[in-house]
Parts: sequence; structure tokens; C-alpha cells
Amino acid sequence: MADANPFRAGLETERTPVSSVFVIFGASGDLTRRKLLPALYNLAVSRLLPPGQSILGFALPEMSEDSFRASMRDAVTQFSRRKPIDEAVWADFASRLHYMSGRFEDPANFVRLRQTLDQLDASNGTRGNRLYYLAIPPSMFRVVNDCLAGAGLVADPSDASHSTRIIIEKPFGRDLASAEALNADLHRVFDERQIFRIDHYLGKETVQNLAALRFGNAIFEPLWNRNHVDHVQITVAEDIGVEQRGKFYEEAGALRDIVQNHLLQLLMVTAMEPPVSFAADEVRDEKVKVLRALVPIRGADVAHHVVRGQYGPGNFAGNAVAGYRQEANVSPTSNIETFVAMRLEIDNWRFAGVPIFVRAGKRLTKRVSEISIHFKAVPHAVLSAPRLLTERDARGVPEAVGSAVDPDVLAIRIQPDEGIGLRFVAKVPGPSMTLRPVTMDFRYGSAFGGSGPEAYERLILDAMLGDPTLFARVDEVQAAWRFATPILEAWSNAPPSQFPNYAAGTWWPPSATELIGRDGRAWRRL
Amino acid sequence: MKLPLAEVEQEITKLWEAEALRSGSPRIELMTLVALVSDPALVDRALHVVSDCVRVHPSRTIVVTWRDGPLAELVADVKLHRADPGGAVYGDAITLEAVAGARDWLPDNLERLALADLPVCIWWVGDLPDFDRLFDRTLSAADLVVVSSAEMDLRDLEKLSDVVRLSRGRYALTDLTWFRLSPIQELIARFFDDERSRSSAKSIERVTIEFAPRAVPGETLEKRDVTSTQAALLFGWMAHVLDLSTQATAWRRADEWSEVSLGSVVARFVPRARGDVPPGTVLGVALESGSARFRIEREEDPSVFRWSGEAPGGSLPTQAVRVALHGEATLLERCIERPKRNALFEASLHASARIVRPVAPRLSGAPRPAP
Repeated sequence: MADANPFRAGLETERTPVSSVFVIFGASGDLTRRKLLPALYNLAVSRLLPPGQSILGFALPEMSEDSFRASMRDAVTQFSRRKPIDEAVWADFASRLHYMSGRFEDPANFVRLRQTLDQLDASNGTRGNRLYYLAIPPSMFRVVNDCLAGAGLVADPSDASHSTRIIIEKPFGRDLASAEALNADLHRVFDERQIFRIDHYLGKETVQNLAALRFGNAIFEPLWNRNHVDHVQITVAEDIGVEQRGKFYEEAGALRDIVQNHLLQLLMVTAMEPPVSFAADEVRDEKVKVLRALVPIRGADVAHHVVRGQYGPGNFAGNAVAGYRQEANVSPTSNIETFVAMRLEIDNWRFAGVPIFVRAGKRLTKRVSEISIHFKAVPHAVLSAPRLLTERDARGVPEAVGSAVDPDVLAIRIQPDEGIGLRFVAKVPGPSMTLRPVTMDFRYGSAFGGSGPEAYERLILDAMLGDPTLFARVDEVQAAWRFATPILEAWSNAPPSQFPNYAAGTWWPPSATELIGRDGRAWRRL
Repeated sequence: MKLPLAEVEQEITKLWEAEALRSGSPRIELMTLVALVSDPALVDRALHVVSDCVRVHPSRTIVVTWRDGPLAELVADVKLHRADPGGAVYGDAITLEAVAGARDWLPDNLERLALADLPVCIWWVGDLPDFDRLFDRTLSAADLVVVSSAEMDLRDLEKLSDVVRLSRGRYALTDLTWFRLSPIQELIARFFDDERSRSSAKSIERVTIEFAPRAVPGETLEKRDVTSTQAALLFGWMAHVLDLSTQATAWRRADEWSEVSLGSVVARFVPRARGDVPPGTVLGVALESGSARFRIEREEDPSVFRWSGEAPGGSLPTQAVRVALHGEATLLERCIERPKRNALFEASLHASARIVRPVAPRLSGAPRPAP
């Protein structure tokens, strides 16, 4: 084994990766403009890109490098979190941007790609390190992977002298069978260690902070179990409709688009056991155990434990808005769900018997993503007092029943307004023993000032560094589909009869209230 | 409004209550940040830096100054830190002035003003005066001590080395200059990431460090600093990681350079006047090992380094590398983000102190008053 670099010993530099060529397949697309280039530019502003780092866009449209740079400058100006553009950084960053056009189906283009990469290696010292980002439809993955392999553009993962990594975007399949097929295709060319499946929810600071909250503090973890937790709610609510993604959404729906990936990722981080260390596989081993412990929902149980909805016409923020079936590229008789609520159970020592209620949907009243841990009520109401907080649903119907004293709730807000809130009761000052719920709030913006990196910045940097902790591993993806597929099958056997069943700009269909109400619980007011 | 010290807490409580009524915003303070300003000319700079820093680390800040006067007293002024008039609040801001002998009362009173159960960061702004105990006496209240050795005399490296040695883990000492050196360290380390050049690291024979000297008119060769604290700290780091003995150092100096030999390695320090960077700044580093040559050089734009090398297997591609030149507030924020002892910094500081001791000894006693 070669001697270690003595100048690296103990050096605490920023997490700067080794130089590579970052090749974006689909560089003319929306993802590149809105997310990838702004994220890479922000890494450059933060001086987290190594010297010589190159970015090569590869897409179908004919375009000169100057035109590509101009187009990317426009994208960064529009979508970067940092404004205005820093001219000195941009000048340096633009010099790293390169472009080549061509069809992905043509192997000759990959021979050209190899030549271009070799030239970049020679001029920029990238030494054969490659990071491929597939910002293209999954149907093209196989073609690109085969061409990369055919052109000798995939390094042996055991060769330490240079690396090849690939980042792919969801959807990682449409169901278990297609996910398995996709993974088999990837594994024909890449080793699992080289594959980075991105789920941008895992790049969000608050999601990472959940691990810090649980495993960095001694006071929460002892309460994080069936003895103290009454139930858990996980919400991913969006106030926008499907916008320009009607065609995609007709193929996906809320279960595939949000629940199977983002929402189950949140569930895993919430319910996982403490890992031995924060090393990638230690964390992912614990996460996947949560999915394996999820009680499957199959056949007739689906109707009892899962609610689906679709928004109809309504209003949002004072303006009339269309229903889902009236959106562009959506069938006027579509039965695709835009809302899902479920009652889940995790069959393990820690959470057995603790219901987990999840909900996700579009065109709801507010944009909120959060995880709330609802603790059990005090066992004996010594301080019995009239309950002041009456929880009601969107139609004003009282939802909550239970003890006289409002139970404590720990809420981890993911967006907007990232932070953590603890609700507990306190005595109202005065001669009588009146209790009232109060909150203690931690807000990222107030406590740490400024805005942290966006999820894509963090995740792209991690992929450059070869750190897969925040990426989905193959067994996670397949376990998630193993859970979701029976629900999709049950739905396809029993089309909904009452779609649309909630108006745009309202919270959810009444059946979602009934779902949680059957357990004597209520959705948390968001 | 100047206040007696006894009224400070009361006044701050009133300010926060008024703010809660006005905006409903909660009181969030994560630490007490004390800036001890060694020179009145640095007060504005210190105030500016702490007001920037609290936007990232909401804190109580105490900016401390001192002056001569007829009567010993401590007077304070208080307000809230705001991004702009009427904007968000990031903590409370105390300015504390010690008049005459009241300077000796500062350590106890700083402990009184520190927020309960939260860390205290002491930032010493500017040079360390010789024969002064204030810095040492305030250390007992600190969890984190921040200095900027680049603003200090070369002999203060030994003083800082002693401060680390005597801390016994009670506080962490950190140096803004160390953070300023990190891009240069990164660029040096990068030469030897390549396996072709790795073997050259252990056989380095000659190191040349160019630095911007302090401009002192009429200074004689004998009085001129042999190097800057920043360059010395950088070489101290190299000596530590290359495991060079710093016990027996031999210095030579000429008009244009100074050299120190540590066994088989010779380090030359070359002053090069440059007005667009702070005095002491490292301008270039060259390493020689057999036929291998590695060089980084600060270009006309001070944030850009030219990185080049000739390794045994061939040339390394020359690159222009833009590095971050962080302002003092950002560096202070980073120190606060990592409030822990850094073993590499401490070892490098000890090494640099030992290396410069023969040419920059600590003064042995206070000068006697003139008869």
C-alpha cells in the first residue's frame, strides 16, 4: 500500500472533493437549469469545487459552448439562491463549462464523449474521475449505460486511481417489478457502490437534523418509543397543482411521486434505530430495517387503511383554480390520485402498536412538510381543566377527543420555515389553574442565520466525495416498492368512484379525517 | 446612553420586552461573544465584525475597550443587534469601557455579564501587548479563545503556545490566521495526492515561503522580522507533518531573505513588498525534493493562486485556483462553528514557536521606567 499523504494528516479543510468531470446527460432540460447548474454554481461560490473540476453538458440540441454558457448563466441568474451573480466566480465557473450535442442512442457519440473527457483530463488534471448525472427520463437509462460501458467509460470500482459514479433521479421504477428491472440494468454496468439514487428530501437540513435531534441529545431518544409515543404524523402538503407536469403525473400519481420515496424516507429517518456510526451503510442498514418492519397493506385492507383523493376546481389565495382533470395534459376522466393518506404500522420492538399516519397531496390549503411526534397524554389528569384547544378539521368539525390536558407534540418542520417546535401545556397566569398549550420553537433561520445550502448542493457534493449516506440504496428502493406495489394493485382493481373528492385549496377528502378519526385521533392543524 | 454596570441587565431585559411587544420575536442567544479590543483604532472594526457574526450565531456581544482617565470606572452602553432599523434582532450588544485602573476589574465583570449556561467566546482583537496580564486573566471565563496571530509579533507565537499548553483542555484556542492558511495548506496537500509525487513529500529538501512584510520605515536588518507569524505558522505546520526536529534550529539571514535549517531541510523566508494584501500574508510557497518542484504563487488577483509542479512522472497541469478570501467576520463565524481544540493547529503552533524562538525570543521582563 502506498504511503499516505503526510500533508493530509489532520488537515481540516472544507469537504472538497477530488477533481472530476461532471457529465450531465440531458443538459438542455429543466432539471439542469433549475437545480443542477445553480447548485454547482453555489458550490463554486462556497469554494467547494476543486481546482480543475469540469462540467460537461451532453444533450440533443446543437449548441455552441458559448451558447450553452449563456443559457446556463441565465439559469443561474434566475434560479440560484445567491443573487446577484458573482462575476468573478462566474468567470471562473463558466470556463469550466463545456458542451457536446448528440443522440444518446448513437454509440459514436460516446466515442466522441470519451475523446472530450480525455482532453479535459489532460488540460484540467481530472485524472479519469467521472460523475455522470442522468437528468433524462428513466426509459433512456439503459441506452446511456450501455453506451457508457461500450465506450469504456466506466471504471472498475476497485481501481483506486480513478472513479466513476452515476447519479440517477427518481422515479426508480413504477412498481416492484420495474424497479428490480431498472436496478438489474444498472448493475450490469455499475457496481452498487458507484450508484447514487438521489432523493432531494434527504438533502434537506431538517431531515439531517432529525438524526442530530434524536442521536445527539439524551432527552428525546428515551421517549422515542411505544411507551411514550401515542402516534406519529408525517405530512407532505403542497399548495400547487401539477402545473406543467400533467403528462408525468398521469403516469405517476401521489403514491408514486411522493409517498413511495420522499415520505417513506422521512418515515425511515423518524423510526430507524440508532446506527453504530454515521457511516453510509450503517445508516442505510438501519433505515431499510424500518421498511422491512412495515406491516404490508394488501387486498381488502387497502380500502381500510389508505385514502386516495383528487382535487377538483376550487380557489387558492383568492383566485379560482382548475381541478386536476382540467389541468393541461390530463385526461378529463382521469382517476389518478393527487392525495394519499395512510395508517401505517411498524412491527418492531420500538414502535409496535404506534400508528403512523401519513398524508401527502397537491392543491391543499398550505405548503407544509413536517413530522410530528404526538406523545401520550398524562396518565392521570391531576390538573383537570377545561380543554382550550379544540382541534377542528377544515370544515370546522371537532376532531380531537381525549384527555383534558392537551398531549405534548414535537413537530419537525421540513418546509417552509425549517425548524423544530415543542408543544406542551403551561398554566395561564392568574388565580385559577387554567392550562393552555404553548410552544417552544427552534427555527433554523433565527438560530443560525442565513440560509443553508440547498438539498441539491449538499447531495451533489456528497456524490462528488463518494459519500452515499444520503442516497437511497437498492434494497431501500425495492423495499419501498414492495410496500407500495400491493396498494397500487388494489387500486387498479377498484377504480375510485367519487373523484374529484376535495376542492382545490382545501385540506383533504372527508375520508382522510375518518381514517384518523377511527383511531380517536385527529390530524394536526398545520 | 452610558449606564453603570449594575443597570445593564435591567436595561437589556427592557429592550427585549419592548421587542417582544413590537415584533413578537423570541429572544434567541446561543453564546456570549466578548471582543477585547487592544487598540482604540480597532474598535470600529470589532463592532462591525461582531454585528456581522451575530447574524449567523445570535449572541450577546460585549465589546470591551479601555482608556486612561482620572477615575477608575466601568461604563456600558446597551442595544439590540439588528440587521437594519426595525429589522430582525440577533442578540444584545453591550459595549463596555474601562477607565484607568478599572481595566483590572474586567475579568470578574465579564463573568458577571456572560449569559448563564451558554458558551463564552473571547476574541482578542489586535496585537498582544507585552507584559500585560489582561488576556491571561480573561481566559478562565472562556470556552473558546480566538486570536489573530497575523496581527501579533513573532515572539507572541511562543506566548500562544504557552496559552495552549496551560489550557489543560479548559478552553480551545483558535487562530483566525490558521483558517486563513487553510486554502494554502489544501493546495500544498494537493501536490501529494497524486501517487507520482507522493514519494517526494518525505524527501523535501528546500522550502521557500514568500510573504508580505510589515513596512516599518528605517528598520535595520537586525530589527526586521525574519518572517511573518503567518509564514512561520505555515512552516511550523510543514515541520510538524514532515516530522522535522525543531529542537536544534540554525538561522542565517541576508538582506533579501532569512533561512532556517531543520536537519536536512532548509526553509527560506523571503519578504516581498505587496500593498494589496495585509502585512504578513503568504504570497508564495515553493517546495523542492530532488528533481521534483512544486510551487504555488499568489497572482495579481490576491484570491487566485497559480499551482504548478514537476513530479518525477511528469508535469502536473498548471492551474489557476481561486480561493476564498474570507473576511474577519466569516473567519470568526467558522471558529465559533468549530469550538474545539484542533490538534494539528496546536502542534503546528508549538513547532512554529520553537522554530522562531532563537530569532524572536520572548521579552524577559517589563522595561524599567525611565529615570
